[in-house]
This record gives sequence, C-alpha cells and structure tokens, in this order.
Amino acid sequence: MTNRLAPSHPEGAEPSSGGPRIRAAWRALVGHTAPAGVVVQDHRRERLMSWLFIAPALLFLLLTSVYPLLYSLRLSFFSWNMSVPNSQPVFVGLRNYTRLFSDPVFQSSLKTTLIFVVSAVTLEFLLGMALALLVTSRIRVVGLIRTLLLVPLMMTPVVAGVLWRTLYHSTYGAINYFIGLVGIPPQTWTGNPEQALAAVITVEIWQQMPVVIFILAAGIQSLPLDFHKAARVDGASAWQIFREITLPLLKPVILVVLLLRIMDAFRIFDVIYTLTFGGPGRVTEVLSILIYKNGLQFFQIGKASAMSWLFLLFIFVIAIFFIRELQGREQEGTA
Amino acid sequence: MAAVRTFVSQQRPGRLLLYLVTAAVLVAVAFPAYWLVTTAFKYEVDTIVSPPIILPLRGTLRNFTDVLRVEHIGQFFLNSALIALVSTGLGVLLGSMAAYALSKVYMAYRIRQVIMIWILIVRIFPPITTAIPYFVIIRGLNLSDTHVALILTHTAFTLPFVIWLMLGFFQDLPDAIDKAAVMDGCSLWQRFCQITLPLALPGIAVTAIFTFIFSWNEFLYASMLTSRTAKTLPVVIAGYMSDKFLRWGEMSALAAMMVVPVMIFAGLTQRYLVRGLTFGAVKE
Repeated sequence: MTNRLAPSHPEGAEPSSGGPRIRAAWRALVGHTAPAGVVVQDHRRERLMSWLFIAPALLFLLLTSVYPLLYSLRLSFFSWNMSVPNSQPVFVGLRNYTRLFSDPVFQSSLKTTLIFVVSAVTLEFLLGMALALLVTSRIRVVGLIRTLLLVPLMMTPVVAGVLWRTLYHSTYGAINYFIGLVGIPPQTWTGNPEQALAAVITVEIWQQMPVVIFILAAGIQSLPLDFHKAARVDGASAWQIFREITLPLLKPVILVVLLLRIMDAFRIFDVIYTLTFGGPGRVTEVLSILIYKNGLQFFQIGKASAMSWLFLLFIFVIAIFFIRELQGREQEGTA
Repeated sequence: MAAVRTFVSQQRPGRLLLYLVTAAVLVAVAFPAYWLVTTAFKYEVDTIVSPPIILPLRGTLRNFTDVLRVEHIGQFFLNSALIALVSTGLGVLLGSMAAYALSKVYMAYRIRQVIMIWILIVRIFPPITTAIPYFVIIRGLNLSDTHVALILTHTAFTLPFVIWLMLGFFQDLPDAIDKAAVMDGCSLWQRFCQITLPLALPGIAVTAIFTFIFSWNEFLYASMLTSRTAKTLPVVIAGYMSDKFLRWGEMSALAAMMVVPVMIFAGLTQRYLVRGLTFGAVKE
C-alpha cells in the first residue's frame, strides 16, 4: 500500500537505484556530465535560432538584473543624500566601505542576520526532518496534512506579519491567552528586546518549515528500499538505519534544501517589516531592514549601496560553498 | 510500493507519542490561519477583548463590506491582478523560449552551462540588494508609481525561476516526436510552437501559477515604487500597521480576500509543488 505525502508521479514513481534524483538541470549546474543528446554535426541554422530564442531573456536579465547591480556598485563609491533637493553624488572612493567595517550598527545587524538565519534554518530543518520521516511512514491522513502545510507556505508574507502581530498582541492576542491557561504571565513578545528576535524566528519557522517537509518527504519517497530491508533483517535499530543509510542517501536533497532555505532566509523582509520593523531598538534589524532604512528612509544612497554589496558578497560566498558541496557529491556519484 | 516504514519506532507507545506530537505541530501550524479567518467574521467589539474569543459564536459580514468601501480598493485589487498577470505572461513567454533553447543540444554545452549558472546566481541575490539602484533608476526614468515599473521588476525576479523550472519540464518530454518532426523538416520555431508547447502545457500552467503567486504577494518593490496609481494589495495591508492598527476585523477580511485565491491556485499545483519549491531540482 502507498502511504505517501507526495501523490505519485506516473512514471517517476519507481525508486531509482542511486538514491533520490537530483534533476538533469541541476546536474548541468554542477557539471559532471553533458546531458544526453544526439551528437550534432552541422546545425548552424538551429544554433542561430537557439540564440534568437534565448536572446530576449538574456537581454531582459542584463537590463533588469545585471545593470542595476553594476549601477549599485558605482553608487557605492559615492556619497549621495537624495533627500536633499538637487543634491549630486560626490565621489568618495572606498570611504563608504571602510566606514562600514567599523560601524557598530552594521556589525550588529550582520550578527542579527546570522543568528536569525542559523537558528531559523536549523530548527526548520530538524523539525522538518522529523515530520518528513513521520508523514512518509505511518500517518494516514496525508492529504489533510499537505493542505494544512500549504496554508502558511503560500500565505502572503505581509499578511503573515500583520497576522502574527495580532497573535502576539500583549492584551488581545491569542498567544498570551494560551500561555495564561498554563499559568504563564502575559509577555510583550515583539515589544520585548529579549523576546523579539525569537518571536520573528518563530514566524519564519511557521511559514517556511513546510518547504523542508515537502522536499525531504519527496526525497525520502524516492529512496531505494533494498538497503533498509537488508539492514532490518540484520537487526539494525531505527536510529542506526536512519544514520547509516537514510542520511547518506538523502545528502544531495538535504544540500538542496539547505541551500534554498539559507538563501531565502537571508531575503526576509516583509515579515519583519510588518511585525517589528527592526525593533524594539535594533534587536530584529536584519540587513535587509537596515539597508531599507538607510536607503529608502534616510536616502543615504551611497552608504546603502555599499551595504548591499557587502551583503551580496557574503551571500555569494555561502552559495559557492553549497554548490561546491553539491559538485563533490555528484562527482562521487559517478566515480 | 511498501511505505518507507523503517524509520519510525514499531512499538505502540512510541507510535502514539509520535501521533500526538504530529497532531500538536499541525494544530500550531493551522491555528494562525484559523485566527485570521475567524477574526475576519468577528464584530469589531469581539476582536479587541481580553481574553480573546477563540471560538466565536456570532459573526458578521460587516468587515468585508467595510473593506469594499475603502477608497480605491477596487483599483488596488485590479492593479495586483493586472501586474501579476502581465508579468507572468511576459516571464513565461521569455522564460520558456530560453529554456527551450537550453534544453536542445545546438548550443555548446559549456555555453549553456555558463548561462544557467549565471541565471541561478541572479536569482540567489536578495531583492533588497537591487532595491536602491532600482529606486534611483525608476525615478530617473519617470516611471515611479506606474504599472510598467512593477511589471518589469517582478518579471526580472521570476524569469530565472521560469527558465530553470521549464527546462526541467522540457527535458521530461519524450524525444521521439521531436525527432520525427526534425525528419519532416520542421524548423526549431515550428517544433517549439506545435510540439513542445502543447505537450508541456501542464508544466507551463504550474510555472505560471508560481510566478503569479510571487507577483501577487510581492511587497518590497511594490511599496518602494508605487504610491497610489499602481499600488498593490500587500502595500494596502501593510498600511494597516500604521494607520488603522486594531481594526483587526477589517484588516483580516482584506487579508483573507487576498490569500484565498492564492490558496486555490496553490492547491492546483500540488503535484508539482516540490519541483516548484526546489527550482526544479527535486522531482516528486
């Protein structure tokens, strides 16, 4: 009988022998083999056509993504307060950057961002893994669970922010009511410097943990079962099977989940904007909020651009690390 | 197929505990949405009381009629829908053409690989990192508060996603029909329009729904680039935080009206959900 979280895909249902499949496009990304295809002899016309197919998208991305990035790099070498009428950018070289390196506000924001990303993704991952194992093993009401999990995931982030703000409300909120039932006195949550960051992390986990569950569950469904059966015959415990067989086989999927979740956690903006706007004080002021305040409230265009670029470099390094890991994994797979 | 039962304890008490934990987590996951919907139907006096009313025994549609009386609300709904529709159309058109070329072997493998990695990197950067230059550029072009500005930015964000996802769908299509068409002398354009697109229709639908939801939900650029003419619903919702906080009923009614269509759409994509979430990396 099938007990799957994921409705089966007609031809993808049978488990492949080598663990969950990372799809062809991603294999192209990590580049261990050229995708299968006929050997092409002379296709000059088709090659030209291919370029015509791809050109609009590339041009569009050049204009709307690459150009703004380069423009922002340029702005980061200028000092420019746009709120002053008729003000002109003044070239200041690397001054925006050198100032940021010794700016305690920037440093604390970077720290807040890291704490936010690491704790949110770690908790999402652990909880998500546990629930993914559960829903793929014994739970019978899978359709209902899927639907329930879809709700926070697809909810407009701004709505999630305002919704949780009402839940956290110290007088009229439901959370203080529930903890009151077990005798805990009312808290101020988003108004309390010691609780605000945890409150924000909770919302992030609530909204994004379903991603982890869905992806890991799909990965677990596509595992080959032979190893598990053999290990069970040999008397291995559930924990041993999980650690020695499931985890290693699942590693590519885990890497994809972590890569996506970490990159997305760094993007958080809407929820914090509506929930705390970085407060109280600066305790929930992650980098995107700090950049927003500097650039779009105080119009310190140069400084905000420099922050953006440091943020970019930071993310880029992390992304490269994960892509390398994926690459290593794929090459092992072919050896 | 035998379910993957090996992971979970076989003993009865352990199993019961696991059920309880799962049930508790699911209740916690569902409660905020329940709170949103019930608040939307509460009388105003019932929304701001202590202790809060968890199980409302009376309800009203008043909040919804109040929302519909908010100034220009119809236009904001239309703006959201129009911007999401046009940017979805543009993104899917440009994206599936590019993905089609990338799925064929006519361009050198290395070139395709570089293009794809570049596209992925464009998508990885947080939107805030291009917010400042966009703000300056859009103002310089006198496009502030126009639909065009938002359509362009939203398409820029969804295009890489469309390309990656559609590439996966195209690679899933059987090769045989395409080869037969090559024998018959069909050009690349003919094969794209007459063979690949119709076959990949479910994939296109799923991709379109994902991009629509992205644009419908997007807040940062909408709040930065619009003020009235092109204002979208997320900006209206966020406005409740400053202007009318504690009008929870009305706010929840608007939020529910915004979120419900998204949920219906999302339900339609269930089969391909994991693909969409992983940029096409993991297939269910």
